[in-house]
Amino acid sequence: MAELSAIKLNAESQILLERPLLGVPYELSRKKFATARREVDREQSFLTKTLSSASTTSDPVSALDTLISRMANLKRKLEVLQAEETELQEQSKARIEHLRALERIPTVMDVKYDEWSRTRLNRLLVDYMLRSGYVESARQLAAEKGIEKLVDVGSMVECLRIEKSLKEGRTAEALAWCAEHGKDLKKLNIHLVFELRLSQYIMLVREGKLNEALMHAKKHFYTPPNEKYRAVVMKAAAMLVLRQDVQVEPYLTWYSPERNHDIAAMFVETHHTIFGLPKRPLLHIALSAGLSALKTPACHSKHTSSSGNASSAASTLCPICSKELHELARNVPYAHHTKSHVDPDPVVLPHGRIYGREFLRQANEKLGTEKGMVRDPTELDKLCREEDVKKVFIS
Amino acid sequence: MEALLEEHAKLEKRGNLAKTIEDVQRTIELLQSARDGLVANPSPSPKALEKLQKPTKLLNDKVNSDLTEIYKAQNSYSKALDKKFTGKLYMDPDGDALASHPHLINQAISMHLLREGQFSVAATFMEEAEAHPRAPEPTPGTPDPYAAQGEDKRKVTENFNAKELEQQFSDMYHILRELRTRRNLTPAIAWARQNRETLETRGSNLEWELCRLQYVCLYKNEAWNLRELGQTGGPLGAFAYANQEFKHFHRRYARELQQLLGALAFNENLYDSPYMSLFFNETAWEEVATSFTREFCSLIGLSADSPLYIAVTAGTIALPRLLKLQNIMREKRTEWTTEEEMPIEIPLPPSYHFHSIFVCPVSKEQATDENPPKMMPCGHVILKTSMDAISKGQKFKCPYCPGESIPREALTCRF
Ligand SMILES: [Zn+2]
Ligand SMILES: [Zn+2]
Repeated sequence: MAELSAIKLNAESQILLERPLLGVPYELSRKKFATARREVDREQSFLTKTLSSASTTSDPVSALDTLISRMANLKRKLEVLQAEETELQEQSKARIEHLRALERIPTVMDVKYDEWSRTRLNRLLVDYMLRSGYVESARQLAAEKGIEKLVDVGSMVECLRIEKSLKEGRTAEALAWCAEHGKDLKKLNIHLVFELRLSQYIMLVREGKLNEALMHAKKHFYTPPNEKYRAVVMKAAAMLVLRQDVQVEPYLTWYSPERNHDIAAMFVETHHTIFGLPKRPLLHIALSAGLSALKTPACHSKHTSSSGNASSAASTLCPICSKELHELARNVPYAHHTKSHVDPDPVVLPHGRIYGREFLRQANEKLGTEKGMVRDPTELDKLCREEDVKKVFIS
Repeated sequence: MEALLEEHAKLEKRGNLAKTIEDVQRTIELLQSARDGLVANPSPSPKALEKLQKPTKLLNDKVNSDLTEIYKAQNSYSKALDKKFTGKLYMDPDGDALASHPHLINQAISMHLLREGQFSVAATFMEEAEAHPRAPEPTPGTPDPYAAQGEDKRKVTENFNAKELEQQFSDMYHILRELRTRRNLTPAIAWARQNRETLETRGSNLEWELCRLQYVCLYKNEAWNLRELGQTGGPLGAFAYANQEFKHFHRRYARELQQLLGALAFNENLYDSPYMSLFFNETAWEEVATSFTREFCSLIGLSADSPLYIAVTAGTIALPRLLKLQNIMREKRTEWTTEEEMPIEIPLPPSYHFHSIFVCPVSKEQATDENPPKMMPCGHVILKTSMDAISKGQKFKCPYCPGESIPREALTCRF
């Protein structure tokens, strides 16, 4: 029977959706480690250099003082990184445990699955809120549900901060971020740095600082990353002559405020790619799949359907018919079914409404219908005699 | 996950900076003692610093090997991660049917938070969402159905009354708390009475179930709020309560009423009575709480469990199949998000079926408003389009039995 496959929990496939849950703390921790590596390298080479040129040092004590204070400083930085690492590792552990709990639940009917799935919804909501910039809501929800270890508030807030700075026309924060993620950008072949330099250049030209613009171009556009950018550089060079008077592309776009938004969007997309996050909130993806999986042609039907109506005798309202999702589900596809699902032992009332015999009997008992008569629980004004209720064959 | 957990334990042990910090500390101590030596010695040799080259180099090497150790631990954890997530899913459908409706999503989330009783998060969320509404970002192939109708239509759908909803749900949680934690039926009964007419039209038994429980509670002398109820405990109190409150139920629940009152005669040996199940039903309180929640939500046009929760749960059950399918469909340049009907069947547990589904045995299509099911006089049902195709307007034979009919004899059905 299809029912068995429908209730068995396929944890493996659901876990496939959770790669970012473990990927994000891992990436962050790798970054922390790379920072440690960089700090150590710098201090070590300074130490080596100082000591090897020691014979020319006139004041060895103060040279040592400098070394000691720089080393102590390094140690402090490492201790901070270590504390952050520990926190990330605790996060990872909590997340692995969370996924492991799913593997131990046999069916989707289990109360434990219900609990797990509610936690997941809260995680998706926090992610959605953060992506939308609703940081306070995200923090509150995570705290109320005690899922702080399962959500990435810190890294998302950082992403939002840089996104905002770009929208406001500042590039420094994003460039600093790019410097930290240079290797990833190179690996993924993303030319965010070039775009940021181009933005700076456009700004200089716009402000009429042509000399500075020229210097900037010489410094940063000397070797464009590929053919496409070679063409961009040519167009950029022409700007020095054309200035702002041109009404053709790409200059229109370059000078428009859209440019800042495009760059901000490019940054966010790059950020998500590096951290292995989906481009769109997983809430959207899961919700639209769920709307479709649940939606039936009856949900947006003109006729009141048996469980879509609050005043009908039906027990539970369909989630798609419920106010929250009804509009949202209007233009998603409805679920595909290969066979009919109807109540057992279907019967038809004279006006064409079909119910399961037992459901109809119980509903009429609750409605207190007089003996020998049957009332349509959906359209209460439709009353008929018992013998007019006919068996119907649904295959 | 076990393997990953093990790998993580290793990472915790090896992949941390503790050793590195220790070795940096040693370097500091080495430099410090050299400095102390220099200060103590009135005429230090310029070679003093050069002598440090060797020991600091050793320590530097040590630090580097500490770091290499971490690097290895991280790599091995990363391999374990990759192994766990081998069937990597491409998580970015080209079409995002919901991206055109950020306002509707925000509204659904607000309502979800309110119905879950998270009033303060809901308030913050609505405030932030109003201050910074997300812009609709229609993706290619997923048109914005409101684009033509303009902003007005959009505003209309936004018109749910948050204040009212919050009040309703805070009432609901108050009544539920009284029921569950204080075993106080009074507020629930008062609500049911207020909405008696609507509840009865729905065929709901809620008021009767609540009053019956109150009766049993009195009978077993378990009611703690006797003064409030104006009753005494025990069978006599229960009898007085029934006398006073049950009049309304006489006609509809005659049989059950007799059972309940009959229990009076069996006071001495209730355990042997035929009514025992009514009196010793441990789950009775949870059951009335559930029916109450269902009725309460239905009366304000909402389903009993959060639709957002049900839909997202159904979505995550469906998603792995859909994403895999998408990878295949990508080559055909079609998207499951833009079709009228999904391309594959997603098996969902029975509790996720809310409507009857009619699939035509002839055409395999589902019934819609435009293409309703038709019942032929023999009792077999097929879709209108199938019937039209078979009959061509003439007398025709049922595809499933020898019965013959003419199209206008067929009855249009609804589920
Ligand atoms: Zn529905
Ligand atoms: Zn037939």
